[in-house]
Amino acid sequence: MLALKELLGSKLKFSLIALAIGLVVSLTMVTSAMSEGLLTGMSGAKSSLAADALVFQRDTYPTLERSILTANDLKVIAATPGVMSVYGVGHTFATVGSAEEPFDVRILGLGDRFDQLPIVEGTGEPGPGEAVVDVTAKLQGVELGDTLTLTPVNAELTVVGFTEDRRYVMVPALFVSLSTWEDLHVASVLGRVEDEGGADAEAGARMAREFAGSASIAAIELEDGVSIADVEREFDGSYALATPADSARAGNGMPEMILAVGGIQVVSIVIGALLVGVFFYITTLHKTSQVAAVKAIGASNAHLYRELIIQITILVTVATVFGTALAIAAGAGMPPMMAFDPDPVRWATSVLAIFGTAYLGSLFSLRSILRIDPATALGRTEP
Amino acid sequence: MLEVRNITKSYGEGRTRVTALDNVSFTLGKGKLLAILGPSGSGKTTLVSIIAGLLGPTSGEIVIGGHAVHLRTASQAARFRREKVGLVFQDHHLVPYLTAMENLLLVPHLSGRVTRTHRELADTLLADFGLTARAAHKPSLLSGGERQRVAIARALMNAPEIMLVDEPTSSLDTERGLQVVELLKAQVHERAMTCLMVTHDPRMAAHADESLTLIDGRATR
Ligand SMILES: Nc1ncnc2c1ncn2[C@@H]1O[C@H](COP(=O)(O)OP(=O)(O)OP(=O)(O)O)[C@@H](O)[C@H]1O
Ligand SMILES: [Mg+2]
Repeated sequence: MLALKELLGSKLKFSLIALAIGLVVSLTMVTSAMSEGLLTGMSGAKSSLAADALVFQRDTYPTLERSILTANDLKVIAATPGVMSVYGVGHTFATVGSAEEPFDVRILGLGDRFDQLPIVEGTGEPGPGEAVVDVTAKLQGVELGDTLTLTPVNAELTVVGFTEDRRYVMVPALFVSLSTWEDLHVASVLGRVEDEGGADAEAGARMAREFAGSASIAAIELEDGVSIADVEREFDGSYALATPADSARAGNGMPEMILAVGGIQVVSIVIGALLVGVFFYITTLHKTSQVAAVKAIGASNAHLYRELIIQITILVTVATVFGTALAIAAGAGMPPMMAFDPDPVRWATSVLAIFGTAYLGSLFSLRSILRIDPATALGRTEP
Repeated sequence: MLEVRNITKSYGEGRTRVTALDNVSFTLGKGKLLAILGPSGSGKTTLVSIIAGLLGPTSGEIVIGGHAVHLRTASQAARFRREKVGLVFQDHHLVPYLTAMENLLLVPHLSGRVTRTHRELADTLLADFGLTARAAHKPSLLSGGERQRVAIARALMNAPEIMLVDEPTSSLDTERGLQVVELLKAQVHERAMTCLMVTHDPRMAAHADESLTLIDGRATR
């Protein structure tokens, strides 16, 4: 009763407190969601591949760009004990030259597993010469139904759908069927030869033969009870493998970026939580003589603690709801490129940290008030 | 029955040591209003605080109804105040965000549930002190005398055996002050309480049943 009456009694004061805490909540949420968005931008297309593990050519892990698996490799991998299913994932670089401002993309061939792409517009099943494109390409003016001309390979792809959170090294990924990828891949390797005096038909034909049925890496699903280590033992060094999440965290400067981003998140949570803790320590200390007066007319310490906990709970809950709404609103206003990516676990961590220090700060403060004798505490003037 | 036996209280250590009370003894029976007189700094508030169990004496004993008050733990002392003591502080110390009525009802709230009986008692007390029209006002909207009267009414909410009132009239003019003292005295006699009233004004003290003067922590009757 007291806790609520006090809150309602000075609405302005407590609204301002809730506002301040709400801003701290939204700050920690926005920084963590934005920094997580940075990581998604770097490796979203890789980390979100539907697979238990990604298999790389020997000695190329974690560099997807360097790995090549032949049709035979894919057969060997499929036949390895413990491997339940396999599909190839092809990678090649390209530039969309038909755009007003040409921009880089990464072409990813997916062997027959397009169901894994979240579709935000259009369809998710590209036929030959068609592509499902990460939605950030829209920022470059790409629209559904557009035909993109890729340079220097001089190939055309029609946009049939948009997916999201599928960027790689900050550029949009274009998902195509594995055979379309194969053509683009061979063309991209041969492109230079063609430029300098025409394609060597013989070399081209040979290369197409070599690459037939190939992929850059293989995405595998394991049988029940089989671990990655089991399969690694079966491979015996002929291939490297790791989970999509692990391989997304390796290479391309990712380890360093993860450290930096983690640092930002930890610092913002620690500072936010400390701020709130110190804040409640001080506001509670300000109530010394008020607390002493209620205690002097007979309130037990337990009663005073309970009232304080109720009050902090109400205040921080209101602040959290407000701060979360604010952060989500801010996220909605951000361009998709920033990949604002609020995560419930990280949200809960920062909210728990803030609740924790709010309780700690105020209870610690109340404890120190209750430790001085009430007669002395009464004499302490109110703010 | 209140017995104060050889109470001494010192604050601080070494050079900042202050002896606020020096071997103070007296007894006071039921239904009596005792005025404690004395200049500023003579130890009046200190004495009241010790009797209320808000402060421990350096030495000496307080016995109320045969029970030694000074030996209680903090939580026993809180319970004792909740059930047996009515306290009025020198600066009223009403809860600022509660109305006059709610300040009165805070007392039964601290002991558990607020019942209809409590509400009726609060109504009666507010009426007795001429505060019916102020029941819904918060302390900041009340005059000094009204606040002091609300504080006295609040102290009476738990039908205390012992009433401790620190300077109830300090912020009032003589006329208003005498009215408050008369009100207090009537309540003390009516409810057969033991009451200590601190004042520095001999005219107020003249209305009490007995008086005691503190000078530099020493008592003279
Ligand atoms: N917490 C404390 N620490 C140190 N000294 C104190 C403390 N409280 C009171 N004193 C000292 O004890 C002496 C008695 O103080 P007390 O408050 O009991 O006086 P008082 O008679 O109530 O004065 P007043 O009429 O001004 O209210 C004073 O000298 C005061 O400075
Ligand atoms: Mg005093």
